[in-house]
Amino acid sequence: MEEGRRKIIHIDMDCFYAAIEMRERPELKGLPVAVGGRKRGVLTTCNYEARKYGCRSAMPTFQALERCPHLVLLPVRFELYRQESQRIRKIFAEFADLVEPLSLDEAYLDVSHLRSNPEAVAAEIRDRIRETTQLTASAGIAANKFLAKIASDWRKPDGQFAIREDEVEAFMKTLPIEKIWGVGQRTAEKIHRLGVRTCGDLQQMPLVELDRHFGKFGRDLYELSRGIDHRRVNPNRERKSVSNERTFFEDVTTSEQGLEKLTPLIEELAEDYRDKHRDRRIREGFVKLKFTDFSITTAQRSMQEVDATELRKLLLEAWERGGGRPVRLIGAGVRFVPLGEGESGGQMRMF
Amino acid sequence: MKFQIDRETFLEGLQQVQHVVSTRTTLPILSNVLIEADGDELKLTTTDLDVGVSGRIKADIESGGASTLPARRLVNIIRELPSSDVAVEIDGDNVASIRSGPSFFKILGLDQEEFPPFPDFDEAKEFALDQKTLRDSLRKTSYAISTDETRYVLNGIFCSLKDGMMTLVATDGRRLAMVEHEVEFPAGNETDVIIPTKAVNELQRLLGEVGEVRVRITDSQIAFELNQNVLVSKLIEGNYPNFRQVIPGEANDRVTIEREVLLNSVHRVSLLTSEKSNSVKLMFEDDQLHITANSPEIGEAKESLHVQYKGKKMSIAFNPDFLMAPLRNLDQDEVFLDLIDEMSPGVLKVDEPFLYVLMPMRVSQ
Repeated sequence: MEEGRRKIIHIDMDCFYAAIEMRERPELKGLPVAVGGRKRGVLTTCNYEARKYGCRSAMPTFQALERCPHLVLLPVRFELYRQESQRIRKIFAEFADLVEPLSLDEAYLDVSHLRSNPEAVAAEIRDRIRETTQLTASAGIAANKFLAKIASDWRKPDGQFAIREDEVEAFMKTLPIEKIWGVGQRTAEKIHRLGVRTCGDLQQMPLVELDRHFGKFGRDLYELSRGIDHRRVNPNRERKSVSNERTFFEDVTTSEQGLEKLTPLIEELAEDYRDKHRDRRIREGFVKLKFTDFSITTAQRSMQEVDATELRKLLLEAWERGGGRPVRLIGAGVRFVPLGEGESGGQMRMF
Repeated sequence: MKFQIDRETFLEGLQQVQHVVSTRTTLPILSNVLIEADGDELKLTTTDLDVGVSGRIKADIESGGASTLPARRLVNIIRELPSSDVAVEIDGDNVASIRSGPSFFKILGLDQEEFPPFPDFDEAKEFALDQKTLRDSLRKTSYAISTDETRYVLNGIFCSLKDGMMTLVATDGRRLAMVEHEVEFPAGNETDVIIPTKAVNELQRLLGEVGEVRVRITDSQIAFELNQNVLVSKLIEGNYPNFRQVIPGEANDRVTIEREVLLNSVHRVSLLTSEKSNSVKLMFEDDQLHITANSPEIGEAKESLHVQYKGKKMSIAFNPDFLMAPLRNLDQDEVFLDLIDEMSPGVLKVDEPFLYVLMPMRVSQ
């Protein structure tokens, strides 16, 4: 049942949006540059110059400007970034059939079929990207998606790193748990409270214990902490939903506060849908609450658009289920009608 | 621990619990069956942390104790043993010696301390149901459970215990099956839960023709006690869709059809559906039902049968698999199909509290 050893490459463009803007405007060379919607008030991405000042993507714009008053803030030009992304995906297609884009600037490639050393393949892909787009990319090379993604971060920018089979054990031993996909700040804190800092520590925890603390995710942690990940590179992975969520520094204790926090989330969700997913039909909307005891509830109902009124009702419904428990995370999203389940000639649905 | 046991008894007991065993090899203990010997019984337990099953079987126990052994491997060994007398001895290091006739097997187990305990049902609401009723009800609904993982609330059977009724519902958004039965329980016990598919499948395996099943429900777990078995499962969290609103009220026309005749006809006609045009068309007129299917690149099929229908001429298209599923799982000779028009859901009924709502397919023509 076990497949042969796979060769997976994760390619991650270096501050993609900012890099494109800088290529388009050579006069910005050497300046701290960020791309971000002023309206939304956060940086979408920023270049390494800006990072020296402590700017980070997803940082509120006002904070970024406090840290770096001469920051060049540019509006987001998705059209342009999409075009570049297309050119890069064409390069990927020359090397592999199994390409799974994660976003405009990131993708997994399964190059198990190539005889050449995957590290050489990664280097060649990065060269081709540089020649074609004058942009730099970083790459991670490993036997699975999880490790490849971690590795691509190791020599960033414009570098690559391979985790070879015989290095996995040693690599995982010292890897901080924050590097595990899905471990956010709060989960990390919760894991730390168990006296666990590294994946090596995590490996010492029995699966049953992890399941008790983290449910299904605990079982994933058991495998991930050992560098095991069986997920395939899936070129047809179809986006099933779009959502937006936020973890709060201070717990939300009333439903009024919850509604207040929900409003910007819905606005951003509507914007995301409008900008990136307008081609998809919406089937239902949902609101997710994570309580301080880490339990999660999701309220949902059918809707055909990002319907703020209905989403607000869903928040109240979910809030009700918490029975007054404080909330640490609020999420809102919509799920899509699966592709190929078209309006015409097809099966009708009741919900 | 040391016991003698009949091969078939042991095998049956193991087979009843082995389906739950995790196929993931990351945690060996979840691949193991917990064996507890006490009095004149062996208790066998397996779990994958979502669903757990235990069963009791008779054995001749020389000395009691508890240990765990790899479930699938044990089943394979017991099945092949040459003699019906089996002697098992498990030492303090969880090494099992199995003797039967000329055969000897030694298998390495794991300490029972590692085996995850079953959840607590102290504060549970309790119900008593008739096994056969529950078994029939699950058979008549479970095929409609959604397998779409993105709609996890539909990945199970909705079970409502309210107003002296037990209502079971399964749907995937395209069809919906529902069964209702009167059940006695205290008013304070009213509850709605969603039982995950895996638990439904296991339960169907365990339920028999006679006797009761005791059901205990907490906020997050459900347990079924029946015969010599206990099944526990996590419940699916979330809100089941408001299914009542999709059940049509008054129908315009009712068709009475022989169940097996309809099933066989739809089955034959469906041989000429294809992935692209996966629908059969039902056309009703004057006590006649014409069932047709055609795929431009393959050909076409048509069958006519006698039905009771006095309404106006009308036609409606359905996915043949969705139409056949309830017909296969019902026992009645006659079924009733209530129709409104070609774009509205059809409702299949029988002369007991069952209904099946099926959304039509849009076909160009």
